[in-house]
Amino acid sequence: MRSVKPLLRSIFIPGLLLLGACCCEKDVVVAPVVPPPPPPPPPQVELGDIFFDYDKSELRAEAVQQLQKNFDWMNQNPGGTLIIEGHCDERGTNEYNMALGERRANAAKDYMVNIGADAGKMQTVSYGEERPFALGHDEAAWQQNRRAHFVGQGQ
Amino acid sequence: MTRFPRAFIAVMVFLLSGIFLNPLTLRAVEQGEYIAIRKQGAGKIAIVLDRLSAKGSKEAGWAGNVDSVIKDGLAFSDLFSILSPPSNIRTDGKSKDINFGALSSVGSEFYAGGRISKKSGNVNLDMEVYDTYGTKLLMKKSYTGTEGDLRSMGHAFCADLIELLTGKKSYFGSKIVFVSSKSGHKEIYQCDFDGQGVQQLTNFRSISLTPVLSPDGRYLAYTSYTSGRPTLYIKNLADNTIASVVKNGVSVDPGWRNASEVATTLSFEGDQEIYLVRADGSITKRITNSRGIDVSPTFSPDGSRMAFVSSRNGLPQIFIQNVQSGAVKRLTFSGRYNTQPSWSPDGDKIAYTTWEKSGEINIFVINADGSGLKRLTSGARENESPSWSPDGSMIVFASNRQGGKRLYVMGSNGQNQRRLLQVDGEQMQPSWSLFR
Repeated sequence: MRSVKPLLRSIFIPGLLLLGACCCEKDVVVAPVVPPPPPPPPPQVELGDIFFDYDKSELRAEAVQQLQKNFDWMNQNPGGTLIIEGHCDERGTNEYNMALGERRANAAKDYMVNIGADAGKMQTVSYGEERPFALGHDEAAWQQNRRAHFVGQGQ
Repeated sequence: MTRFPRAFIAVMVFLLSGIFLNPLTLRAVEQGEYIAIRKQGAGKIAIVLDRLSAKGSKEAGWAGNVDSVIKDGLAFSDLFSILSPPSNIRTDGKSKDINFGALSSVGSEFYAGGRISKKSGNVNLDMEVYDTYGTKLLMKKSYTGTEGDLRSMGHAFCADLIELLTGKKSYFGSKIVFVSSKSGHKEIYQCDFDGQGVQQLTNFRSISLTPVLSPDGRYLAYTSYTSGRPTLYIKNLADNTIASVVKNGVSVDPGWRNASEVATTLSFEGDQEIYLVRADGSITKRITNSRGIDVSPTFSPDGSRMAFVSSRNGLPQIFIQNVQSGAVKRLTFSGRYNTQPSWSPDGDKIAYTTWEKSGEINIFVINADGSGLKRLTSGARENESPSWSPDGSMIVFASNRQGGKRLYVMGSNGQNQRRLLQVDGEQMQPSWSLFR
Protein backbone atom coordinates (compact mmCIF):
# COMPACT_ATOMS: atom_id res chain seq x y z
CA MET A 1 0.00 0.00 0.00
CA ARG A 2 2.82 2.44 1.00
CA SER A 3 4.35 1.91 -2.35
CA VAL A 4 1.03 2.88 -4.05
CA LYS A 5 0.51 6.22 -2.22
CA PRO A 6 3.32 8.15 -3.87
CA LEU A 7 2.14 6.81 -7.18
CA LEU A 8 -1.39 8.05 -6.52
CA ARG A 9 0.00 11.33 -5.29
CA SER A 10 2.01 11.70 -8.41
CA ILE A 11 -1.07 11.06 -10.53
CA PHE A 12 -3.30 13.22 -8.33
CA ILE A 13 -1.38 16.42 -8.83
CA PRO A 14 -1.12 16.30 -12.60
CA GLY A 15 -4.69 15.10 -12.57
CA LEU A 16 -5.72 18.17 -10.63
CA LEU A 17 -3.74 20.35 -12.92
CA LEU A 18 -5.34 18.71 -15.89
CA LEU A 19 -8.74 19.13 -14.41
CA GLY A 20 -8.00 22.76 -13.65
CA ALA A 21 -6.74 23.28 -17.09
CA CYS A 22 -9.88 21.76 -18.47
CA CYS A 23 -12.04 23.98 -16.30
CA CYS A 24 -9.86 26.87 -17.16
CA GLU A 25 -10.29 26.19 -20.84
CA LYS A 26 -14.04 26.07 -20.54
CA ASP A 27 -14.17 29.45 -18.92
CA VAL A 28 -11.76 31.36 -21.14
CA VAL A 29 -12.27 30.19 -24.69
CA VAL A 30 -15.83 31.53 -25.09
CA ALA A 31 -15.01 34.71 -26.96
CA PRO A 32 -13.45 33.67 -30.31
CA VAL A 33 -16.47 31.71 -31.64
CA VAL A 34 -15.94 30.89 -35.31
CA PRO A 35 -18.52 33.10 -37.14
CA PRO A 36 -21.08 31.02 -39.00
CA PRO A 37 -20.75 31.32 -42.82
CA PRO A 38 -23.08 34.14 -44.03
CA PRO A 39 -26.14 32.94 -45.92
CA PRO A 40 -25.42 33.03 -49.70
CA PRO A 41 -26.77 36.32 -51.28
CA PRO A 42 -29.81 35.80 -53.50
CA PRO A 43 -28.61 35.54 -57.11
CA GLN A 44 -28.81 38.88 -58.97
CA VAL A 45 -31.80 38.60 -61.30
CA GLU A 46 -31.17 39.67 -64.88
CA LEU A 47 -33.81 41.41 -66.96
CA GLY A 48 -34.87 39.44 -70.03
CA ASP A 49 -36.93 40.14 -73.14
CA ILE A 50 -40.09 38.32 -74.11
CA PHE A 51 -41.20 37.20 -77.55
CA PHE A 52 -44.51 37.10 -79.38
CA ASP A 53 -46.31 35.17 -82.07
CA TYR A 54 -46.98 36.71 -85.48
CA ASP A 55 -49.46 39.62 -85.29
CA LYS A 56 -50.10 38.85 -81.62
CA SER A 57 -49.70 40.78 -78.42
CA GLU A 58 -50.84 37.92 -76.16
CA LEU A 59 -48.24 36.55 -73.72
CA ARG A 60 -46.78 33.10 -74.26
CA ALA A 61 -46.18 30.74 -71.27
CA GLU A 62 -42.42 31.30 -71.30
CA ALA A 63 -43.01 35.04 -71.52
CA VAL A 64 -44.98 34.88 -68.29
CA GLN A 65 -42.02 33.15 -66.58
CA GLN A 66 -39.65 35.83 -67.81
CA LEU A 67 -41.99 38.58 -66.63
CA GLN A 68 -41.92 37.01 -63.15
CA LYS A 69 -38.11 37.31 -63.25
CA ASN A 70 -38.34 40.89 -64.42
CA PHE A 71 -40.71 41.56 -61.51
CA ASP A 72 -38.08 40.01 -59.19
CA TRP A 73 -35.56 42.44 -60.66
CA MET A 74 -37.83 45.30 -59.69
CA ASN A 75 -38.05 43.96 -56.16
CA GLN A 76 -34.28 43.66 -55.96
CA ASN A 77 -33.85 47.15 -57.36
CA PRO A 78 -36.47 49.16 -55.53
CA GLY A 79 -35.00 52.39 -56.85
CA GLY A 80 -34.94 51.13 -60.42
CA THR A 81 -37.30 51.89 -63.26
CA LEU A 82 -38.10 50.02 -66.46
CA ILE A 83 -38.61 51.09 -70.02
CA ILE A 84 -40.51 48.44 -71.95
CA GLU A 85 -40.05 48.73 -75.72
CA GLY A 86 -42.52 47.03 -78.05
CA HIS A 87 -41.06 45.76 -81.33
CA CYS A 88 -42.36 44.05 -84.47
CA ASP A 89 -40.85 42.20 -87.37
CA GLU A 90 -40.45 43.94 -90.70
CA ARG A 91 -43.45 42.24 -92.30
CA GLY A 92 -46.77 43.98 -92.54
CA THR A 93 -47.03 47.74 -92.74
CA ASN A 94 -45.27 50.31 -90.56
CA GLU A 95 -48.26 52.18 -89.17
CA TYR A 96 -50.10 49.05 -88.06
CA ASN A 97 -46.89 47.67 -86.56
CA MET A 98 -46.46 50.87 -84.58
CA ALA A 99 -49.80 50.15 -82.95
CA LEU A 100 -49.02 46.44 -82.53
CA GLY A 101 -45.68 47.25 -80.86
CA GLU A 102 -47.44 49.38 -78.29
CA ARG A 103 -49.86 46.55 -77.52
CA ARG A 104 -46.93 44.19 -76.92
CA ALA A 105 -45.24 46.61 -74.53
CA ASN A 106 -48.54 47.22 -72.74
CA ALA A 107 -49.28 43.49 -72.46
CA ALA A 108 -45.96 43.05 -70.65
CA LYS A 109 -46.54 46.02 -68.40
CA ASP A 110 -50.12 45.03 -67.56
CA TYR A 111 -49.04 41.55 -66.52
CA MET A 112 -46.35 42.92 -64.25
CA VAL A 113 -48.79 45.34 -62.65
CA ASN A 114 -51.14 42.41 -62.04
CA ILE A 115 -48.47 40.49 -60.13
CA GLY A 116 -47.69 43.51 -58.02
CA ALA A 117 -45.26 45.75 -59.89
CA ASP A 118 -45.54 49.49 -59.48
CA ALA A 119 -47.01 50.88 -62.71
CA GLY A 120 -45.39 54.22 -61.95
CA LYS A 121 -41.95 52.67 -62.37
CA MET A 122 -42.58 51.36 -65.88
CA GLN A 123 -42.78 53.27 -69.14
CA THR A 124 -43.73 51.78 -72.49
CA VAL A 125 -42.71 52.87 -75.95
CA SER A 126 -43.44 51.31 -79.32
CA TYR A 127 -40.81 51.15 -82.03
CA GLY A 128 -42.99 49.23 -84.45
CA GLU A 129 -40.61 47.83 -87.06
CA GLU A 130 -38.24 50.80 -86.84
CA ARG A 131 -35.52 49.26 -84.63
CA PRO A 132 -35.11 45.56 -85.47
CA PHE A 133 -32.72 43.46 -83.34
CA ALA A 134 -31.96 40.89 -86.04
CA LEU A 135 -31.43 42.18 -89.55
CA GLY A 136 -32.25 39.05 -91.55
CA HIS A 137 -35.32 38.56 -93.68
CA ASP A 138 -36.40 35.11 -92.49
CA GLU A 139 -38.45 33.61 -89.67
CA ALA A 140 -35.34 33.29 -87.46
CA ALA A 141 -34.83 37.03 -87.62
CA TRP A 142 -38.52 37.89 -87.49
CA GLN A 143 -38.96 35.81 -84.32
CA GLN A 144 -36.14 37.79 -82.68
CA ASN A 145 -37.83 41.04 -83.60
CA ARG A 146 -41.32 40.31 -82.27
CA ARG A 147 -40.42 41.25 -78.73
CA ALA A 148 -40.84 43.39 -75.69
CA HIS A 149 -37.38 44.64 -74.73
CA PHE A 150 -36.70 45.62 -71.11
CA VAL A 151 -34.31 48.42 -70.27
CA GLY A 152 -33.61 48.80 -66.55
CA GLN A 153 -32.38 52.06 -65.07
CA GLY A 154 -31.12 52.70 -61.52
CA GLN A 155 -31.12 50.22 -58.61
CA MET B 1 -50.02 57.44 -135.22
CA THR B 2 -53.61 56.96 -134.17
CA ARG B 3 -56.08 59.34 -135.60
CA PHE B 4 -59.08 60.05 -133.43
CA PRO B 5 -62.43 60.67 -135.08
CA ARG B 6 -63.81 64.01 -134.21
CA ALA B 7 -66.80 62.32 -132.66
CA PHE B 8 -64.55 61.51 -129.72
CA ILE B 9 -64.13 65.13 -128.89
CA ALA B 10 -67.06 66.82 -127.30
CA VAL B 11 -66.67 70.53 -127.44
CA MET B 12 -68.30 72.70 -124.83
CA VAL B 13 -68.41 76.43 -124.77
CA PHE B 14 -67.30 78.37 -121.77
CA LEU B 15 -66.26 81.88 -121.11
CA LEU B 16 -62.63 81.41 -120.20
CA SER B 17 -62.25 84.42 -117.97
CA GLY B 18 -63.90 82.89 -114.91
CA ILE B 19 -62.34 79.48 -115.27
CA PHE B 20 -58.59 79.88 -115.18
CA LEU B 21 -57.65 80.43 -111.60
CA ASN B 22 -53.92 80.70 -111.73
CA PRO B 23 -52.45 79.17 -108.58
CA LEU B 24 -49.13 80.94 -109.02
CA THR B 25 -48.27 84.53 -108.48
CA LEU B 26 -47.79 84.89 -112.20
CA ARG B 27 -49.80 87.45 -114.06
CA ALA B 28 -51.68 85.82 -116.84
CA VAL B 29 -53.93 87.11 -119.58
CA GLU B 30 -55.96 84.83 -121.75
CA GLN B 31 -58.31 84.98 -124.66
CA GLY B 32 -60.38 82.37 -126.41
CA GLU B 33 -63.74 80.76 -126.12
CA TYR B 34 -63.55 76.95 -126.21
CA ILE B 35 -62.81 74.13 -123.86
CA ALA B 36 -62.66 70.71 -125.41
CA ILE B 37 -63.60 67.93 -123.03
CA ARG B 38 -62.51 64.49 -124.02
CA LYS B 39 -64.68 61.52 -123.67
CA GLN B 40 -63.77 59.42 -120.63
CA GLY B 41 -61.72 56.39 -121.52
CA ALA B 42 -60.53 57.78 -124.83
CA GLY B 43 -56.90 57.13 -125.76
CA LYS B 44 -54.04 59.51 -125.33
CA ILE B 45 -54.40 63.03 -126.68
CA ALA B 46 -52.22 63.48 -129.77
CA ILE B 47 -50.62 66.89 -129.61
CA VAL B 48 -47.90 68.61 -131.58
CA LEU B 49 -45.74 70.58 -129.17
CA ASP B 50 -43.95 73.23 -131.17
CA ARG B 51 -40.65 74.71 -130.03
CA LEU B 52 -41.03 78.16 -128.52
CA SER B 53 -39.82 80.95 -130.70
CA ALA B 54 -37.47 83.52 -129.22
CA LYS B 55 -35.36 86.46 -130.34
CA GLY B 56 -31.93 86.88 -128.81
CA SER B 57 -29.63 84.32 -127.23
CA LYS B 58 -30.87 84.84 -123.66
CA GLU B 59 -34.46 84.35 -124.77
CA ALA B 60 -33.44 81.27 -126.77
CA GLY B 61 -31.96 79.80 -123.59
CA TRP B 62 -35.20 80.42 -121.72
CA ALA B 63 -37.16 78.94 -124.60
CA GLY B 64 -35.13 75.72 -124.51
CA ASN B 65 -35.63 75.52 -120.75
CA VAL B 66 -39.41 76.07 -120.89
CA ASP B 67 -39.71 73.71 -123.89
CA SER B 68 -38.41 70.85 -121.79
CA VAL B 69 -40.43 71.85 -118.71
CA ILE B 70 -43.63 71.73 -120.77
CA LYS B 71 -42.69 68.55 -122.55
CA ASP B 72 -41.71 66.76 -119.30
CA GLY B 73 -44.81 68.10 -117.54
CA LEU B 74 -47.17 66.82 -120.23
CA ALA B 75 -45.31 63.52 -120.45
CA PHE B 76 -45.62 63.08 -116.66
CA SER B 77 -49.41 63.36 -116.89
CA ASP B 78 -49.44 60.33 -119.19
CA LEU B 79 -52.42 61.92 -120.97
CA PHE B 80 -50.63 62.85 -124.16
CA SER B 81 -49.01 61.37 -127.15
CA ILE B 82 -46.52 64.13 -127.87
CA LEU B 83 -45.66 64.48 -131.55
CA SER B 84 -42.70 66.30 -133.03
CA PRO B 85 -43.68 69.20 -135.23
CA PRO B 86 -43.58 68.24 -138.93
CA SER B 87 -40.91 70.04 -140.93
CA ASN B 88 -43.51 71.86 -143.02
CA ILE B 89 -45.38 73.20 -140.00
CA ARG B 90 -45.21 76.78 -141.29
CA THR B 91 -47.08 77.42 -144.50
CA ASP B 92 -44.19 79.31 -146.02
CA GLY B 93 -41.39 78.06 -143.85
CA LYS B 94 -41.03 81.13 -141.65
CA SER B 95 -44.29 82.98 -141.22
CA LYS B 96 -46.53 82.69 -138.20
CA ASP B 97 -49.19 80.85 -140.13
CA ILE B 98 -49.54 77.25 -139.02
CA ASN B 99 -49.92 74.57 -141.68
CA PHE B 100 -52.89 72.72 -140.20
CA GLY B 101 -52.94 70.28 -143.10
CA ALA B 102 -49.46 69.13 -142.14
CA LEU B 103 -50.52 68.76 -138.50
CA SER B 104 -53.51 66.63 -139.41
CA SER B 105 -51.40 64.44 -141.61
CA VAL B 106 -49.16 63.47 -138.66
CA GLY B 107 -52.25 62.57 -136.65
CA SER B 108 -52.26 65.55 -134.34
CA GLU B 109 -55.50 66.59 -132.71
CA PHE B 110 -54.08 69.66 -131.04
CA TYR B 111 -51.25 72.07 -131.53
CA ALA B 112 -49.51 74.04 -128.78
CA GLY B 113 -46.84 76.60 -129.41
CA GLY B 114 -45.75 80.05 -128.45
CA ARG B 115 -43.15 82.67 -127.97
CA ILE B 116 -40.91 83.78 -125.14
CA SER B 117 -39.73 87.34 -124.79
CA LYS B 118 -38.34 89.89 -122.38
CA LYS B 119 -40.81 92.51 -121.31
CA SER B 120 -39.84 95.28 -118.88
CA GLY B 121 -37.32 93.09 -117.06
CA ASN B 122 -39.68 90.11 -116.83
CA VAL B 123 -40.04 86.97 -118.88
CA ASN B 124 -43.15 86.80 -121.00
CA LEU B 125 -44.52 83.49 -122.28
CA ASP B 126 -47.31 83.73 -124.88
CA MET B 127 -48.96 80.42 -125.60
CA GLU B 128 -51.58 79.34 -128.11
CA VAL B 129 -53.48 76.08 -128.40
CA TYR B 130 -55.33 75.06 -131.57
CA ASP B 131 -57.72 72.33 -132.50
CA THR B 132 -55.96 71.13 -135.62
CA TYR B 133 -59.02 69.74 -137.38
CA GLY B 134 -61.13 72.80 -136.94
CA THR B 135 -58.08 75.04 -137.17
CA LYS B 136 -59.67 76.78 -134.24
CA LEU B 137 -57.85 78.76 -131.56
CA LEU B 138 -58.87 77.12 -128.28
CA MET B 139 -56.70 79.08 -125.89
CA LYS B 140 -54.39 82.03 -125.96
CA LYS B 141 -52.73 82.93 -122.73
CA SER B 142 -49.76 84.93 -121.49
CA TYR B 143 -47.64 84.06 -118.46
CA THR B 144 -45.31 86.55 -116.86
CA GLY B 145 -42.65 85.94 -114.26
CA THR B 146 -39.01 86.38 -113.40
CA GLU B 147 -36.14 84.36 -114.81
CA GLY B 148 -36.44 82.12 -111.73
CA ASP B 149 -40.08 81.34 -112.54
CA LEU B 150 -39.48 79.53 -115.84
CA ARG B 151 -40.38 76.15 -114.39
CA SER B 152 -43.56 77.35 -112.71
CA MET B 153 -44.56 79.29 -115.84
CA GLY B 154 -44.19 76.17 -117.98
CA HIS B 155 -46.18 74.18 -115.42
CA ALA B 156 -48.89 76.83 -115.27
CA PHE B 157 -49.33 76.35 -119.01
CA CYS B 158 -49.40 72.54 -118.60
CA ALA B 159 -52.09 72.87 -115.93
CA ASP B 160 -54.16 75.19 -118.15
CA LEU B 161 -53.77 72.91 -121.16
CA ILE B 162 -54.86 69.82 -119.21
CA GLU B 163 -57.82 71.65 -117.72
CA LEU B 164 -58.73 72.90 -121.20
CA LEU B 165 -58.67 69.42 -122.69
CA THR B 166 -59.97 67.32 -119.79
CA GLY B 167 -62.05 69.79 -117.80
CA LYS B 168 -60.16 68.83 -114.63
CA LYS B 169 -57.79 70.86 -112.55
CA SER B 170 -54.35 69.31 -112.49
CA TYR B 171 -51.54 69.04 -109.93
CA PHE B 172 -48.63 71.07 -111.27
CA GLY B 173 -48.39 73.14 -108.09
CA SER B 174 -48.69 70.17 -105.74
CA LYS B 175 -46.07 68.74 -103.37
CA ILE B 176 -45.28 65.26 -102.15
CA VAL B 177 -43.97 64.81 -98.59
CA PHE B 178 -42.18 61.60 -97.67
CA VAL B 179 -39.72 59.93 -95.29
CA SER B 180 -36.13 59.28 -96.31
CA SER B 181 -33.24 57.61 -94.52
CA LYS B 182 -30.75 59.42 -96.75
CA SER B 183 -29.00 61.13 -93.80
CA GLY B 184 -28.87 57.93 -91.74
CA HIS B 185 -31.96 58.95 -89.76
CA LYS B 186 -35.54 58.90 -90.91
CA GLU B 187 -36.29 62.53 -91.71
CA ILE B 188 -39.14 64.21 -93.59
CA TYR B 189 -38.63 65.65 -97.06
CA GLN B 190 -40.78 67.17 -99.76
CA CYS B 191 -40.56 67.40 -103.52
CA ASP B 192 -42.63 68.73 -106.41
CA PHE B 193 -45.27 66.53 -108.06
CA ASP B 194 -42.64 65.22 -110.49
CA GLY B 195 -39.93 64.43 -107.94
CA GLN B 196 -37.97 67.62 -108.66
CA GLY B 197 -36.91 70.18 -106.05
CA VAL B 198 -36.25 67.77 -103.16
CA GLN B 199 -36.08 69.62 -99.84
CA GLN B 200 -35.33 68.28 -96.36
CA LEU B 201 -37.98 69.51 -93.89
CA THR B 202 -36.75 68.02 -90.59
CA ASN B 203 -33.33 67.47 -89.08
CA PHE B 204 -34.11 65.84 -85.75
CA ARG B 205 -31.67 62.89 -85.97
CA SER B 206 -34.44 60.82 -84.43
CA ILE B 207 -37.16 58.79 -86.16
CA SER B 208 -39.72 60.92 -87.99
CA LEU B 209 -42.62 59.25 -89.78
CA THR B 210 -45.94 59.56 -91.65
CA PRO B 211 -45.85 63.19 -92.85
CA VAL B 212 -49.04 64.68 -94.29
CA LEU B 213 -49.75 68.24 -95.44
CA SER B 214 -52.99 69.97 -94.50
CA PRO B 215 -55.37 70.56 -97.46
CA ASP B 216 -54.35 74.23 -97.71
CA GLY B 217 -50.65 73.47 -97.26
CA ARG B 218 -50.36 75.59 -94.11
CA TYR B 219 -49.50 72.74 -91.78
CA LEU B 220 -47.41 69.61 -91.83
CA ALA B 221 -48.51 66.85 -89.45
CA TYR B 222 -46.08 64.03 -88.65
CA THR B 223 -45.07 61.59 -85.93
CA SER B 224 -41.63 61.81 -84.39
CA TYR B 225 -39.61 60.24 -81.55
CA THR B 226 -37.86 63.46 -80.58
CA SER B 227 -39.40 63.24 -77.09
CA GLY B 228 -38.48 59.55 -76.74
CA ARG B 229 -41.83 58.15 -77.83
CA PRO B 230 -43.92 58.57 -80.97
CA THR B 231 -45.74 61.89 -80.69
CA LEU B 232 -47.93 63.84 -83.13
CA TYR B 233 -46.48 67.18 -84.17
CA ILE B 234 -48.22 69.84 -86.25
CA LYS B 235 -45.86 72.32 -87.84
CA ASN B 236 -47.05 75.68 -89.10
CA LEU B 237 -45.03 76.03 -92.29
CA ALA B 238 -45.43 79.82 -92.41
CA ASP B 239 -43.82 80.63 -89.06
CA ASN B 240 -42.21 77.23 -88.26
CA THR B 241 -43.96 76.95 -84.89
CA ILE B 242 -44.70 73.39 -83.81
CA ALA B 243 -47.65 72.16 -81.75
CA SER B 244 -47.80 68.67 -80.27
CA VAL B 245 -50.31 66.42 -78.59
CA VAL B 246 -49.21 66.19 -74.98
CA LYS B 247 -50.67 62.87 -73.89
CA ASN B 248 -49.29 59.57 -72.66
CA GLY B 249 -48.98 56.65 -75.03
CA VAL B 250 -48.28 56.61 -78.73
CA SER B 251 -49.52 58.71 -81.59
CA VAL B 252 -49.67 56.99 -84.96
CA ASP B 253 -50.28 58.05 -88.58
CA PRO B 254 -52.19 61.35 -88.84
CA GLY B 255 -54.69 62.19 -91.62
CA TRP B 256 -56.32 65.60 -92.20
CA ARG B 257 -60.10 65.85 -92.15
CA ASN B 258 -60.13 69.50 -93.28
CA ALA B 259 -57.85 72.54 -93.12
CA SER B 260 -58.07 72.76 -89.33
CA GLU B 261 -58.57 69.23 -88.01
CA VAL B 262 -56.28 66.23 -88.20
CA ALA B 263 -57.17 62.74 -87.02
CA THR B 264 -54.64 60.44 -85.38
CA THR B 265 -54.44 57.36 -83.19
CA LEU B 266 -53.78 58.06 -79.50
CA SER B 267 -53.67 55.61 -76.60
CA PHE B 268 -53.78 57.84 -73.51
CA GLU B 269 -57.14 56.35 -72.50
CA GLY B 270 -55.72 52.83 -72.60
CA ASP B 271 -56.87 51.36 -75.89
CA GLN B 272 -55.76 52.75 -79.22
CA GLU B 273 -58.48 54.98 -80.65
CA ILE B 274 -58.72 57.64 -83.35
CA TYR B 275 -59.21 61.24 -82.24
CA LEU B 276 -59.65 64.57 -83.98
CA VAL B 277 -57.01 67.13 -83.06
CA ARG B 278 -56.90 70.87 -83.84
CA ALA B 279 -53.85 72.47 -85.40
CA ASP B 280 -52.85 73.75 -81.95
CA GLY B 281 -52.62 70.18 -80.62
CA SER B 282 -55.84 70.23 -78.58
CA ILE B 283 -58.20 67.29 -78.89
CA THR B 284 -61.69 67.98 -80.22
CA LYS B 285 -63.30 64.58 -80.37
CA ARG B 286 -62.82 60.86 -80.03
CA ILE B 287 -64.07 59.10 -83.16
CA THR B 288 -63.61 55.35 -82.65
CA ASN B 289 -64.60 53.22 -79.70
CA SER B 290 -63.62 49.60 -80.11
CA ARG B 291 -61.21 47.17 -78.53
CA GLY B 292 -58.11 46.59 -80.62
CA ILE B 293 -56.03 48.61 -83.00
CA ASP B 294 -57.64 51.56 -84.82
CA VAL B 295 -55.19 53.40 -87.08
CA SER B 296 -54.56 55.26 -90.33
CA PRO B 297 -57.56 57.60 -90.75
CA THR B 298 -58.32 59.03 -94.22
CA PHE B 299 -61.36 61.13 -95.07
CA SER B 300 -63.88 61.50 -97.88
CA PRO B 301 -63.46 64.82 -99.72
CA ASP B 302 -66.31 66.40 -97.71
CA GLY B 303 -64.91 65.11 -94.40
CA SER B 304 -68.13 63.31 -93.48
CA ARG B 305 -66.76 59.75 -93.65
CA MET B 306 -63.50 58.24 -92.43
CA ALA B 307 -61.83 55.09 -93.72
CA PHE B 308 -59.40 53.49 -91.26
CA VAL B 309 -57.72 50.23 -90.26
CA SER B 310 -59.07 48.22 -87.36
CA SER B 311 -58.20 44.88 -85.80
CA ARG B 312 -61.59 44.71 -84.03
CA ASN B 313 -62.37 41.49 -85.89
CA GLY B 314 -58.89 40.00 -85.48
CA LEU B 315 -56.58 40.69 -88.37
CA PRO B 316 -56.45 44.24 -89.77
CA GLN B 317 -59.23 45.25 -92.16
CA ILE B 318 -60.47 48.57 -93.51
CA PHE B 319 -63.68 50.08 -92.16
CA ILE B 320 -65.65 53.21 -92.98
CA GLN B 321 -67.22 55.27 -90.23
CA ASN B 322 -69.64 58.14 -90.50
CA VAL B 323 -67.98 60.82 -88.38
CA GLN B 324 -71.24 62.39 -87.19
CA SER B 325 -73.38 59.32 -86.55
CA GLY B 326 -70.59 56.93 -85.62
CA ALA B 327 -72.08 54.21 -87.86
CA VAL B 328 -69.35 51.80 -88.97
CA LYS B 329 -69.23 49.28 -91.79
CA ARG B 330 -66.47 46.97 -92.88
CA LEU B 331 -65.13 47.79 -96.36
CA THR B 332 -62.65 45.02 -97.16
CA PHE B 333 -63.45 41.31 -97.09
CA SER B 334 -60.85 39.99 -99.50
CA GLY B 335 -57.37 39.43 -98.07
CA ARG B 336 -56.33 38.80 -94.48
CA TYR B 337 -54.24 41.90 -93.89
CA ASN B 338 -55.53 45.15 -95.37
CA THR B 339 -54.01 48.44 -94.24
CA GLN B 340 -52.96 51.95 -95.40
CA PRO B 341 -56.21 53.30 -96.85
CA SER B 342 -56.12 56.52 -98.88
CA TRP B 343 -59.39 58.18 -99.95
CA SER B 344 -59.29 59.71 -103.42
CA PRO B 345 -59.79 63.49 -103.40
CA ASP B 346 -61.70 63.00 -106.64
CA GLY B 347 -64.55 60.87 -105.32
CA ASP B 348 -65.53 57.61 -103.76
CA LYS B 349 -62.48 55.45 -104.39
CA ILE B 350 -60.16 54.17 -101.69
CA ALA B 351 -56.69 52.83 -102.38
CA TYR B 352 -55.15 50.48 -99.81
CA THR B 353 -52.60 47.69 -99.48
CA THR B 354 -53.05 43.96 -99.02
CA TRP B 355 -50.31 41.77 -97.60
CA GLU B 356 -50.90 38.70 -99.71
CA LYS B 357 -50.22 35.02 -99.08
CA SER B 358 -47.40 35.14 -101.62
CA GLY B 359 -45.59 37.59 -99.33
CA GLU B 360 -46.13 40.46 -101.75
CA ILE B 361 -47.78 43.63 -100.58
CA ASN B 362 -49.98 45.03 -103.33
CA ILE B 363 -52.04 48.15 -103.88
CA PHE B 364 -55.76 47.79 -104.54
CA VAL B 365 -58.53 50.25 -105.27
CA ILE B 366 -62.12 49.77 -104.11
CA ASN B 367 -65.21 51.96 -104.24
CA ALA B 368 -66.43 53.30 -100.90
CA ASP B 369 -69.52 51.08 -101.25
CA GLY B 370 -67.32 47.98 -101.49
CA SER B 371 -67.75 47.44 -105.23
CA GLY B 372 -65.19 47.62 -108.03
CA LEU B 373 -62.22 45.98 -106.29
CA LYS B 374 -59.15 46.19 -108.53
CA ARG B 375 -55.50 45.23 -108.00
CA LEU B 376 -53.07 47.89 -109.26
CA THR B 377 -49.69 46.26 -108.56
CA SER B 378 -48.50 42.66 -108.77
CA GLY B 379 -45.37 40.62 -109.21
CA ALA B 380 -43.19 43.41 -107.83
CA ARG B 381 -42.51 42.59 -104.16
CA GLU B 382 -43.84 45.12 -101.64
CA ASN B 383 -45.87 48.12 -102.76
CA GLU B 384 -47.02 50.33 -99.92
CA SER B 385 -48.43 53.65 -98.75
CA PRO B 386 -50.57 54.69 -101.74
CA SER B 387 -51.52 58.37 -101.88
CA TRP B 388 -53.60 60.06 -104.59
CA SER B 389 -52.67 63.09 -106.64
CA PRO B 390 -54.99 66.02 -105.90
CA ASP B 391 -56.93 65.44 -109.14
CA GLY B 392 -57.25 61.69 -108.48
CA SER B 393 -55.53 60.81 -111.75
CA MET B 394 -52.37 59.32 -110.23
CA ILE B 395 -51.09 57.47 -107.16
CA VAL B 396 -47.68 57.81 -105.53
CA PHE B 397 -46.43 54.80 -103.53
CA ALA B 398 -43.34 53.17 -102.05
CA SER B 399 -41.94 49.93 -103.46
CA ASN B 400 -38.85 47.79 -102.99
CA ARG B 401 -39.24 46.25 -106.49
CA GLN B 402 -35.73 47.37 -107.41
CA GLY B 403 -34.02 46.71 -104.05
CA GLY B 404 -34.43 49.34 -101.34
CA LYS B 405 -37.68 51.18 -100.80
CA ARG B 406 -38.18 54.00 -103.33
CA LEU B 407 -41.04 56.19 -104.48
CA TYR B 408 -43.00 55.40 -107.64
CA VAL B 409 -46.02 56.84 -109.39
CA MET B 410 -48.72 55.24 -111.51
CA GLY B 411 -52.00 56.14 -113.14
CA SER B 412 -55.17 55.63 -111.10
CA ASN B 413 -55.75 52.32 -112.92
CA GLY B 414 -52.22 51.11 -112.24
CA GLN B 415 -50.88 52.04 -115.66
CA ASN B 416 -47.39 53.34 -116.40
CA GLN B 417 -45.66 52.58 -113.07
CA ARG B 418 -42.35 54.38 -112.89
CA ARG B 419 -39.77 55.67 -110.43
CA LEU B 420 -40.47 59.16 -109.12
CA LEU B 421 -37.17 60.45 -107.83
CA GLN B 422 -33.49 59.69 -107.44
CA VAL B 423 -32.38 60.24 -103.85
CA ASP B 424 -29.85 58.27 -101.79
CA GLY B 425 -31.07 55.99 -99.02
CA GLU B 426 -34.57 54.59 -98.76
CA GLN B 427 -37.73 56.60 -99.35
CA MET B 428 -41.15 55.70 -97.92
CA GLN B 429 -44.55 56.88 -96.69
CA PRO B 430 -45.22 59.40 -99.49
CA SER B 431 -48.23 61.68 -99.14
CA TRP B 432 -49.43 63.87 -102.03
CA SER B 433 -50.79 67.29 -101.11
CA LEU B 434 -54.44 68.15 -101.72
CA PHE B 435 -53.48 71.61 -103.00
CA ARG B 436 -52.62 71.66 -106.66
